Amino acid sequence: MRNAAKVRSEFVSTAARSGLPPQPPHARKMPGPAKPLNVLAPEVEAERQRIRANFDSGSSAKQTLHALCELADNILGLIFGDVMKIHEAPEEGLALLALGGYGRRMLFPYSDLDILFLFENEKTETEFRPFISEFSRTMWDLGFRVSSAGRTIDECKRIEEDNAEFHLALLDRRFLSGDQELFDKLDKRILPPSEKQSRSFLFSQLHRLTKERLARYGNTIFHLEPNVKEAPGGLRDYQAAFWLRQILGDRPDLRGSTAADEGMAADAVEFQSAIRCLLHYGNARNDNTLSYEMQEEAARRSLAVRDGIERSAAEWMRLYFRHARTLNRQLLRYLDQKMAQPVSLRERLVNVARSVTRPEQQVSGAHFAVRAGQFEILDQPALADRSIIYSLFTEAARSGTMLSRDAERIINYVVSHSELPARNQVMSWEVLKEIVAADYPGMALRPMHRLGILMEILPELRAIDSLVVRDFYHRYTVDEHSLRTIEHLQALAEPPDARGTQFAPIWKMQERRDLLIFALLLHDTGKGMPVENHVQGSLTALTSAASRLELAPEEEAEVRFLIEHHLDMSATVQRRDIFDPGTVSAFAATVGTLERLQRLCLLTYADIHAVNPEALTPWKAEMLWQLFVATANHLSRSLDRDRLHASDESSLLEQIQSAADAPKTEIERFLEGFPRRYLAMHSPPQIAAHFSLYRKLGSAPIQTELKAERHGFSLTLLTADRPRLFSTIAGVLAAWGMNIIKADAFANAAGVVLDTFHFADLHRTLELNPSEVERFQKSLIEVLSGKAALEPLLHSRESASRARPLKVAISSAVSFDDTASAHSTLLEIVTQDRAGLLYDIGSALARLDCNIEVALIDTEGQKAIDVFYLTSRGKKLEPQKQEVLREVLQGTIS
Amino acid sequence: MMKLEAIIQPSRFESVKDALREIGIEGMTVTEVRGHGRQKGHTEVYRGREYTVDLLPKIKLEMVLPDKLVNTVVDTILQAAKTGKIGDGKIFLMRVEEAIRIRNEERGESAL
Repeated sequence: MRNAAKVRSEFVSTAARSGLPPQPPHARKMPGPAKPLNVLAPEVEAERQRIRANFDSGSSAKQTLHALCELADNILGLIFGDVMKIHEAPEEGLALLALGGYGRRMLFPYSDLDILFLFENEKTETEFRPFISEFSRTMWDLGFRVSSAGRTIDECKRIEEDNAEFHLALLDRRFLSGDQELFDKLDKRILPPSEKQSRSFLFSQLHRLTKERLARYGNTIFHLEPNVKEAPGGLRDYQAAFWLRQILGDRPDLRGSTAADEGMAADAVEFQSAIRCLLHYGNARNDNTLSYEMQEEAARRSLAVRDGIERSAAEWMRLYFRHARTLNRQLLRYLDQKMAQPVSLRERLVNVARSVTRPEQQVSGAHFAVRAGQFEILDQPALADRSIIYSLFTEAARSGTMLSRDAERIINYVVSHSELPARNQVMSWEVLKEIVAADYPGMALRPMHRLGILMEILPELRAIDSLVVRDFYHRYTVDEHSLRTIEHLQALAEPPDARGTQFAPIWKMQERRDLLIFALLLHDTGKGMPVENHVQGSLTALTSAASRLELAPEEEAEVRFLIEHHLDMSATVQRRDIFDPGTVSAFAATVGTLERLQRLCLLTYADIHAVNPEALTPWKAEMLWQLFVATANHLSRSLDRDRLHASDESSLLEQIQSAADAPKTEIERFLEGFPRRYLAMHSPPQIAAHFSLYRKLGSAPIQTELKAERHGFSLTLLTADRPRLFSTIAGVLAAWGMNIIKADAFANAAGVVLDTFHFADLHRTLELNPSEVERFQKSLIEVLSGKAALEPLLHSRESASRARPLKVAISSAVSFDDTASAHSTLLEIVTQDRAGLLYDIGSALARLDCNIEVALIDTEGQKAIDVFYLTSRGKKLEPQKQEVLREVLQGTIS
Repeated sequence: MMKLEAIIQPSRFESVKDALREIGIEGMTVTEVRGHGRQKGHTEVYRGREYTVDLLPKIKLEMVLPDKLVNTVVDTILQAAKTGKIGDGKIFLMRVEEAIRIRNEERGESAL
């Protein structure tokens, strides 16, 4: 209460003005017939000790709080009566009220006594103030922490807009002593209409204060050392829900809570209250932090648990989180009544657009719909089919739309009642993949975890459910930390601060988010296992999850890599000199490819960020970024240097041999001389498939394979090297209206070229017309084999297509590096992406007699980043040639 | 009493901390800082964009020591933080007039 201190100081100064000499407490006598303070104080203290002893020997928190409340009520009444009597003050015109928690009879051992002196008018206020000062001082001397305010009855009905806390505390008013009629007047006649009138103000203020409080604690109950009063799930949640219920009144839409809900809430209040009593007694002050030491103590006592089961501190904390979840869920339900959760700018824009065209959007038949920016359930019985629930989560992850609290409540009811028959309960990797690969995976994974569905799909997560692992740096339980990592990544869609800005493009362009998010879900599961090194435990969890969900071997291998190395980048940043080329080279050798580096970098960014809100300092983010940049550059610059010697790869040879049933020497001939990146980018089954194409070259000199992917198609092409090969393929793709997103070109020692192009089918030509797939491949082979000309194809496309509008202007850069490779010159081009760009660049290179040894093509939004390793007549490019090429390329790309 | 401030390479921090712990020094204030002395920054180019690192990341250690420990601590930091390259950092020593422990108002070296 903001005004309490002010009022108290006013009282003290009034007493000082009275000229009474200060007396030591033990010498001062209580007025009138009361006992002297030096007699009363030990009696009060003895009563306090008795209450504490009862609590220590098993009294419930409710009994303890009532006993403390009764003691305070009695002493307040006694002292108040005596002060009034000694000063022969009239009994009318002044009432003493209990407010807030004390008003609700929830007085904790070291809590303040929130009281209000209610005056009939300003005249009585002036008369009584000196007595009140004396009263308050006496209460303090008896060990009661009085926090008092004074108001006339007229002042109580005036809303103080900057002091909502006082008006909220007044909702819990309780008569203590003095003029009962005055209290009744306030309670029955003055406040009800005033509170009704100010309902909206009180609701908005309580909403604001509560949101601010929850945000201070990261909006999560899962803290390692939670504050049982203030943190989400603490007693303040109960208090706020209680007030909200009073303010909102008996609304039909709030009548949904069942007797079981009420019972759970009562149990939760008892549990949290018991902890708070323990903390107050243990710390001998109003300290509400449930520290590790106090968790041990609570578990040792089996505090507030009467099932006779002995629990470790970590197991006991799981009970704490269960109760905290109950209180927090209850509060959020009330908070949601008038105001929905804040939504992102993107959601708001989407919702506005939807509300203009369709006020309600129905998804998946009529099972659920988006209303006011949140998913609502339309057809509860349909949820017996779990695939409907899973499709709702997929939609949430795809659209970034959250489930309403009611939708969650309905799903919770369905999934927690085992007597309700469930169909299609098993979630396949294909469905889970859709969720974890989406733009907003956290939007689905968090409610799935809250509802226990995630642990049904991934029982490996049970080990870390609400798990407290003592750590100086971590602030959250292990499962909460894991979910936060995912939310930090999805937030990169609109980076909330400068730390994320640099990492955002890597996230946005990430092709295999599913692997990254899946790795994040499991990366710390080992912390809940009895293993020395949690990484090993997490890898064990991956093995079982991957086998059950039937991940492809190459998918499991990628996730395994991320989990196994999830601490490496952070350790390198913190313990190695990242500006030392040796450090960068060693780290690059660990990660192997740019794709893995990107995923590991994002994982590290998210992992540090989710430790606590301050963990990812701008300093650390910068160090991480520097290591990423240096390693990425190292990888693209050493591409041509690290060539494969097939005889060194015995294990790979065996795997391919068993898949392809071919002589080892033939496989060696195929692999010999490819850049090592080729190995790192492709799994043994993929390499075996390439080898199969290679073996067919004898019958058809150009082998192609076209596959549909998440963002388009991939084309793999094998053939003997020839002039203009790369640019011709790029030209055919451009002529068909395909936008090349990524590409690479490798050649082995025998001059066999393996080119892979990933492209978006801008006009959905191949997607909508399966017959066109064959025509496309035929057209490609005809152009490459010289049976058809490319130019007419390109010309028809140019006249049909329109230039894409520029969203961001990219300034072009052309740079050469002669030091990156022993026998090639590295060319890097960064420029605005456009249709046919790669063809134009490739043609320019061919015209100037440049041979592409290796190519690495990438696109970031509208920015094209192309790296080529070039030779001319088998040698590096001469400086003069580089200058001519630079000039030609600048003309081509500008 | 002396106040010691050491600016060291981030990569040497763990070694320095371990070495100090071995000689019984546990208390210190650690700050992530940026700066440069003779070791100038450098420029990295990534995807066509230049990233200039003119202020290099360093770790600053601060501790107040009884006079008799100063030389030992300085030697320990020198040994653990030195790589012999430019950028290893610096140690600064300043005299301290008084130290007061807030909890019990102890003063002087016993407050350290």
